[in-house]
Amino acid sequence: MFRSLCGGFVLALAIVALGGIAQAAEKYTVASDCTWPPMELLDDQKQPTGYSVDYIKEAAKAAGIDVDVQNVAWDGIFGGVATGKYDIVASSTTITPERQKQFAFTVPYYEVEQAVILPAGQSIQSLADLKDKKVGGQIGTTGIFVMRKADTGADLREYDDVGLAIQDLVGGRIDAVICDDPVAMYYVNKKPDTAGKLNLSYKTGDKEYYGFTVRKGRDDLVEKLNKGIKAVKDSGKEAELISKWMGDGK
Amino acid sequence: MDNHGTNSDRPASDSGRAGQPPFLGLFRPRRGINPTFEGEEGHSKANIVLVTDGASIPNPQERRLVNAWSIALVGAVGSLIALCLLWPDPYLRILLYLPDGVVITFEITILSICFAVPLGLLTGLGRISRNRIINLLASTYVEVIRGIPLLVQLFYIYYALSRFFQVSGIASAVTAISICYGAYMGEVFRAGIMAIPKGQSEAARSLGFNRFQTMFLVILPQAWRTILPPVGNECIAMLKDTSLVSILAVPDIMQRARSFVGTTYLYFETYTVVALIYLIITLILSKCVSHMEGRLNYYDGK
Repeated sequence: MFRSLCGGFVLALAIVALGGIAQAAEKYTVASDCTWPPMELLDDQKQPTGYSVDYIKEAAKAAGIDVDVQNVAWDGIFGGVATGKYDIVASSTTITPERQKQFAFTVPYYEVEQAVILPAGQSIQSLADLKDKKVGGQIGTTGIFVMRKADTGADLREYDDVGLAIQDLVGGRIDAVICDDPVAMYYVNKKPDTAGKLNLSYKTGDKEYYGFTVRKGRDDLVEKLNKGIKAVKDSGKEAELISKWMGDGK
Repeated sequence: MDNHGTNSDRPASDSGRAGQPPFLGLFRPRRGINPTFEGEEGHSKANIVLVTDGASIPNPQERRLVNAWSIALVGAVGSLIALCLLWPDPYLRILLYLPDGVVITFEITILSICFAVPLGLLTGLGRISRNRIINLLASTYVEVIRGIPLLVQLFYIYYALSRFFQVSGIASAVTAISICYGAYMGEVFRAGIMAIPKGQSEAARSLGFNRFQTMFLVILPQAWRTILPPVGNECIAMLKDTSLVSILAVPDIMQRARSFVGTTYLYFETYTVVALIYLIITLILSKCVSHMEGRLNYYDGK
């Protein structure tokens, strides 16, 4: 009796293990830095959510693969995908030539530009107006790159996440924050404790395109995701997601 | 307890055999200098033997310590230079990107030392004060601060208290580090002062010194020699802990490195250089501390 029980147990274990392996083959881990609302954020249950997160889930569904989205800190998010800690980065990563040298990107899934946020009542006409001002942004994001390239003589403050920069802007410790325009809109219009205190004053007008990032050489995965993105665009799901997350802002 | 372990390298006649009084075994090994004991035995008799022996004749064991230090320094400097010469593309570029971060790191460290050492002295004196209120105040400060991680203190002073008053990143960094290390140094000062034999203060008091004079003219000048090495260590630890302030958007070495990585994605290369720079700085500083320690122990040799 005992022996047959044992045998049954081992058999059950084997089935579970095999099932696990069979499932894992099609499962990909996705990293998102959930400090970039409304593109990636944590919901009330501390689960990643947001436009990019929903988008990758829809695209994966359309491509017939399984994804598991995890919250990963931005600082080092590219390092993790390079070493294979996770397969895909879905974290509002702009496709830039520098990044393309080291990582592979899918086709674009969203279009943004850089926006400068100032305290309510203040405005600027161009980036050059930020000369000698303290400008905050998230470390390693395109907002910082744009400011560096513009070389306006602003005092750049690189924060761990954009929320901390916004908090310092509201508190008056810095004069401006630069980030992607949907994020700027979220803080200026939607977030209860900052809405009304800020002014989205200036947009650069240079379009940037978000793409999902994978390790160089994973062309198979890029192809699957591209197929998924195309399906999401064609089915009208994309428009649904945009109205869900950007509201009337776009 | 017999001392087979400590004396196994000595001739049998010399070593503490089982049954011999333990103190003999304790004294003997110190004839050959054993620098790790140097701090603890600042006031023991054995120290005299140690310094007269060790100062003039180069001692093999001492040389071994120097080797550990110099191997680390030569290795660190050597590999940094080699990396920059062999692959100037990432490594030299990284090295040239960091110097303004080094300046900020030193600025924060030096300012924090300027505030933390006096704060530590006050706390140490408060902890041995006979005034119950001052004693309680100092003890509570130490208990509270030692129980909160420095990272949390940094966030608290910079972000949480920004509701009431706004201070710059560097000012909050210096405040948080000074308050944190003030508590640790308070304990160092207290231990150093308590280590001075009671006879010293009794003698001073019987010569007509008041309590204040006794403390500042008799006790502290002696205690300083025991206090300095651990305070030096705390200062070096402080320099290492300044790497935490990069979360306050203060452009120290660590933040400069992270911002470099943010554009180039050269994680391995950048953090290798950063580790080597911190290592070189702390090695040089620890040599300075041990040199100072040697100078302060000068009178033990008489």
